Amino acid sequence: MILLEKAGSTVSQKQDTSNALPSSSHVYLPEEPLIKIRAERSWAVVDLREIWIHRELLYFLIWRELKARYKQTVLGVSWVILQPLLMTLVFTVFLGKLVGVPTGNVPYPLFLYAGLLPWTFFSNAVSSGSYSLVASSQMITKVYFPRIILPAAAVGVRLSDFLVASVVLIVLMRYYGIPIGWPLLVAPLLVIHVTLLAFALSACLSALNVRYRDTATALPVMLQLWMFASPIVYSGAIVPARWRWLYDLNPLTGIVEGFRSALLGIPFNRSALLVSVLITIILLVGSLFAFRRMEDDFADIV
Amino acid sequence: MKPIVSVRDVSKRYQVGRLLGAPSFSEALSTAVKSSFSRNGNSRQQTLWALKDISFDAQRGEVIGIIGRNGAGKSTLLRILARITKPTNGEIDIYGRLGTLLEIGTGFHPDLTGRENIFLNGTILGMKVREIKRKFDEIVAFSGVEQFLETPVKHYSSGMYLRLAFSIAAHFEPEVLLLDEVIAVGDLSFQNKCFEKMRAVSREGRTIFLVSHNLGSIQSLCKRVLLLRAGRLCEEQDAQKAIEIYVNDKEVTESRFELS
Repeated sequence: MILLEKAGSTVSQKQDTSNALPSSSHVYLPEEPLIKIRAERSWAVVDLREIWIHRELLYFLIWRELKARYKQTVLGVSWVILQPLLMTLVFTVFLGKLVGVPTGNVPYPLFLYAGLLPWTFFSNAVSSGSYSLVASSQMITKVYFPRIILPAAAVGVRLSDFLVASVVLIVLMRYYGIPIGWPLLVAPLLVIHVTLLAFALSACLSALNVRYRDTATALPVMLQLWMFASPIVYSGAIVPARWRWLYDLNPLTGIVEGFRSALLGIPFNRSALLVSVLITIILLVGSLFAFRRMEDDFADIV
Repeated sequence: MKPIVSVRDVSKRYQVGRLLGAPSFSEALSTAVKSSFSRNGNSRQQTLWALKDISFDAQRGEVIGIIGRNGAGKSTLLRILARITKPTNGEIDIYGRLGTLLEIGTGFHPDLTGRENIFLNGTILGMKVREIKRKFDEIVAFSGVEQFLETPVKHYSSGMYLRLAFSIAAHFEPEVLLLDEVIAVGDLSFQNKCFEKMRAVSREGRTIFLVSHNLGSIQSLCKRVLLLRAGRLCEEQDAQKAIEIYVNDKEVTESRFELS
């Protein structure tokens, strides 16, 4: 006990005289508290700088998922490619060959894969993102960290899947002899765009799912409907002109058509893309705001 | 001396019968409809003050025990300090980094190896990768699982698992450390090692909060004890006297729930 007091007094003396770390102790008090806990709820959006501060945690959570996922699999990482590839096969047979969906002069498999790729990323990201908080309830109730990291990590996992599956697209483009042009430079921007959209929905839905488990239950059906409301397996050109404005309000319309334009040399639909960017920004701000309002209760109700 | 942790008038209220477990959307809807139709629809919803007007300061180097019966608010207090849940009233200032160990091995993934889990769990606790790398050998040596570093932790015995998890947390060096019942793990020799580690931590001027039902370990580690009774803090904080009060306390159970 004497030792204890001694240590305490050494620290307080050192604190006044020098800024360097005292040799016997690492503890000296800052002027301002590092952590302030207040009862009030703030009307604010989630502070995204927190993600940057905890980027190592974000990285390890993504790494954990990827690492653990392939530990006891035979085909390993090829599953990521197989999912959109098998869907491409099925839709090519039914819609491409039997129905004969018009796609301009782009071969249907390529047209389809260029749409399925961002869609698969988006829908997987939103569904695992929405489940992310509930799935990590153990962590939420035991340790503090910015909760927004969890949906962000879920989206990050799917983003890396997406990047792997993109390799197949390059192979397909070479196979069909599609020239690579300047519009391809837009593709990375579109990847960021769709990532932010998926993140916005994941944040909002994951928070909602903590309180109402119906959210995750209803989501697969919603995503299924959403897929057919977007130009994934067909071209947006078949939508009647007078309904086109409504069709463009779907933020995925601009994104998916944008991808095809960037990759396959189809002219860009600027207005749809602009609408999509605006809606994404609105959704992002709204979701981060909603998340911040709900996150204080996560540990009590999850 | 300026305290490292300052807690002022902290209270936490829970709604009994609500917010405990997530209702489905239809349940929430039916509750809302019912309460708007019946005049005393809210009467069944009662509030419980898990903590009421808690104030105290903690100095550097103190090891503070938190004791009390089940439901007295010990864990709630720890969870508020840890920023896991928010207080209903009051404010807390902490002049340092905070480490939380409410559970052994938070975020451990059974399929990942011991080595992988050290990095994963370390970052979840709030350590920097640089820090983990620097202390890696120490962590491994302290836990005594050197031979099984490349084995998935699902194949670990429960003792090995606990030792590894505690060892990671023990080498995290925050200025304030919150511990919940975790020293009750492992065999006797490992427990002694943990005690020794905690004394060393406090000698460095770090502050430890320790929730435990094991009065023996509280007595040997803490000079000061916070005794919680039905969410209120007992004024006596001298370890010896507070433990006596706690042991002799008979009326606590009757006044456990203060419903309003």
